[in-house]
Amino acid sequence: MGSQTSSSNRIVGIEDSSAIRQQSIFHTYKPHQNARDDLLDWDGKPHPHCKTLVDSIGKLSSNEFQDKRSAADLAFITQGITFSVYSDCRGVEKIFPFDLVPRPVEKKEWSRLEIGLKQRTKALNLFLFDVYHEQNILNDNVIPRDMVESSKGFRKEMIGFTPPGKQYIHIVGTDLIRNPDGEFLVLEDNCRTPSGVSYVIENRVVMKRIFPDLFKNIKVRRVEDYPQKLRDALSSVAPHNSGPNPRLALLTPGPFNSAYFEHTFLAGNMGIELVMGSDLFVHNDFVYMKTTGGPKRVDVIYRRVDDEFLDPKAFRTDSMLGVPNLFNAYLKGNVTIANAIGTGVCDDKAIYMYVEDMIRYYLAEEPILKNVPTYICSRKKDLSYVLDHLEELVVKAVNESGGYGMLMGPSSTAAQRSEFKEKIKANPRNYIAQPVVTLSACPTWTEEGLAPRHVDLRPYVVSGTDSWVLPGGLTRTALVKGSLVVNSSQGGGSKDTWVMETDV
Amino acid sequence: MISRLAEHCFWLSRYIERAENTARLLEVNQNWLLDFDVPVDLQWKPLLIISGIHDYTGNLDKESILNFMTWDHENPCSIVSSMTQARENARVIREIISAEMWERLNYNYLWLQSNTAKDLYENNRYELYNQIKRINQLLQGIGESTMLRTEAWEFYQFGRHLERSGQTARILDVKYHMLQSNPDISGSNIEISYWTSILKSCSGYEPFLKHAQIIENQVGNAVAEFLILEESFPRSVLYCLKECLNSATSISYKSKSKISNSTIESLKTLNTWLSKDEIKQLIKVQLHSVLTNIVDNVHSISDSMTRTYFNFNPDDHIFENNEAEKVNY
Repeated sequence: MGSQTSSSNRIVGIEDSSAIRQQSIFHTYKPHQNARDDLLDWDGKPHPHCKTLVDSIGKLSSNEFQDKRSAADLAFITQGITFSVYSDCRGVEKIFPFDLVPRPVEKKEWSRLEIGLKQRTKALNLFLFDVYHEQNILNDNVIPRDMVESSKGFRKEMIGFTPPGKQYIHIVGTDLIRNPDGEFLVLEDNCRTPSGVSYVIENRVVMKRIFPDLFKNIKVRRVEDYPQKLRDALSSVAPHNSGPNPRLALLTPGPFNSAYFEHTFLAGNMGIELVMGSDLFVHNDFVYMKTTGGPKRVDVIYRRVDDEFLDPKAFRTDSMLGVPNLFNAYLKGNVTIANAIGTGVCDDKAIYMYVEDMIRYYLAEEPILKNVPTYICSRKKDLSYVLDHLEELVVKAVNESGGYGMLMGPSSTAAQRSEFKEKIKANPRNYIAQPVVTLSACPTWTEEGLAPRHVDLRPYVVSGTDSWVLPGGLTRTALVKGSLVVNSSQGGGSKDTWVMETDV
Repeated sequence: MISRLAEHCFWLSRYIERAENTARLLEVNQNWLLDFDVPVDLQWKPLLIISGIHDYTGNLDKESILNFMTWDHENPCSIVSSMTQARENARVIREIISAEMWERLNYNYLWLQSNTAKDLYENNRYELYNQIKRINQLLQGIGESTMLRTEAWEFYQFGRHLERSGQTARILDVKYHMLQSNPDISGSNIEISYWTSILKSCSGYEPFLKHAQIIENQVGNAVAEFLILEESFPRSVLYCLKECLNSATSISYKSKSKISNSTIESLKTLNTWLSKDEIKQLIKVQLHSVLTNIVDNVHSISDSMTRTYFNFNPDDHIFENNEAEKVNY
């Protein structure tokens, strides 16, 4: 009898657990209370453009979903799409955590973003040309002269020089966030050497491998054309004396750089040479690469090395990553460097505040994309407000990126706040503050199943003689509950961004 | 191609080839020792010397040596070190080799670090070493059908064949030396099996039986001749060096550089010497000095590669007028 009972219990048990296993992964999902959900509306129903997606993924049980996750992780590992963590001598390699639930953006909203991003990039490019030539915007007191000249990214050596095609910002990765009203806001511009685009493409490749059927039923815009578009854009602004088939090279700091995978990926997919500084040299103001067949002239350098390391003769003398006399060759107009030297002034988080004014000043248009309201600590009025309201604000160092050097007011300790108070007082120019914006959230796989996690979006604009916006971008996701920090260096992950091809 | 990247192609294939050779040597030796009682000095020490290790101070028993030559990260000649080096080289040039090659190599590298490989080592070493040998064979096959036949391919082939020619010469030299210094073995069953194991260490046992003319009591000589001179055997020294010369010539052609250079000249000299009639007599009476000459030359060819292709010196080149160069491009 006893054994019969226990065996029948066991059968019941199996049925129960299999019922749970077969339950949809959306069954227990609860959208965030204050954040916009990028898949579901406030009532928990899918947004119209997300319906097919939610229905399809919703058919998966948690076990099936886990299997797909393992398959995706394995694909990243065997392809070596990893970054290094230098904690021991052999180096531990990690994959950038990838979440399988895509982040869709509706077609109409994307069209608006596209126009807004082009507008912003155009204004920033005109601003760079202006500050390195006539400086009208400073003379007209639209932006304080002092703020530009004291910016770390401002390179006075560039004054009077015009890069080929008047193009400074060949690639920009603009960080956007979506507020609870569903409006995209600009959080920062990355006009130096924005990274991450290889993940955009690889995430898509892996998604197609794992969910082939999804892409049959839902039309999503392609992201795989990026390398070719970038190659064309860079070729279009090659120096005038470079002939019909300019030679391009991607300059990497080397295999130990954490973004080295991206460098090999882009060079390989653009079909251009991947070089280190030591592979190049300058002879009579022309740049050459050292090949087995002798020196070969290089016309365009897509550099993933910061300004100050580019040329030990012009900038930091201790740089081992650069090419001596490269800057001279540049000034002579014999090589295009992308992005141009001196674009860092746009990444200064205090100057970011003025981008909307730049749009009005140069284009006589109203900005389509708004900034997040920003307090500039070098202004007396702003400074005292910031110091009094640290608990409500996010404080950022103006030249940092990757989530470093920031204070998240609401989650900070009193000790952290007083430490920042001193730092800000000691060097107000170095800090800005912004109110906390509740970033939109997306269903993301966690230990408790699907749960909302905050996301941002980094689209990429590629500019040569024209501008092109990659229809997609890097959606970064915080993996810690409630966290608003999405940077990979702070433990964030990423998602495939779906720009819908059709209105639903 | 960029000189630095050419160097990575060259070393990538050398390290994979080396891992394969080490795996084969370990496997063959362990098998050979099952049948015979040989002095301790003859058991495992020769393997260290073949790999150029002269300062080993650990135990000379089977487990210690196998562990040292398979898993020891501190030992630059261990299989795991060779694979790590191969993978590091491949990572740098992953956009130059084909994506399939990179994925396969990366997969195998990760496999070697995994518990699956460790379990195989404990339970089925024969299979572990077989799988390691297969890595190179697979990569060569994948490369054969996916890699562009540009300079990169030629440097890859050059590295493989140069490494192999040196390995074959060293295996032969060290094993022969051991035989010489142990007269008890000469003429015995052990001697025959010893030569057999040398052939197996070079994957040459069956090819040898099919091909070579063996005069009684001169097995050793026939084996040496086969491993050095047999042009139809893809691991013989002469075959490999001829392949190196082919690659070097293709590199000159594909990079549009000078038809001759010191690397090509050294290869030609060595190959001509090995093709002379007298060489067979020399192998018979002075095998060690023939092999020493080969090993030394393989070293100097490798150095000459560095000077010719990898260490770029702008002063060595005439700069064409920039405009003229553009037309050329």
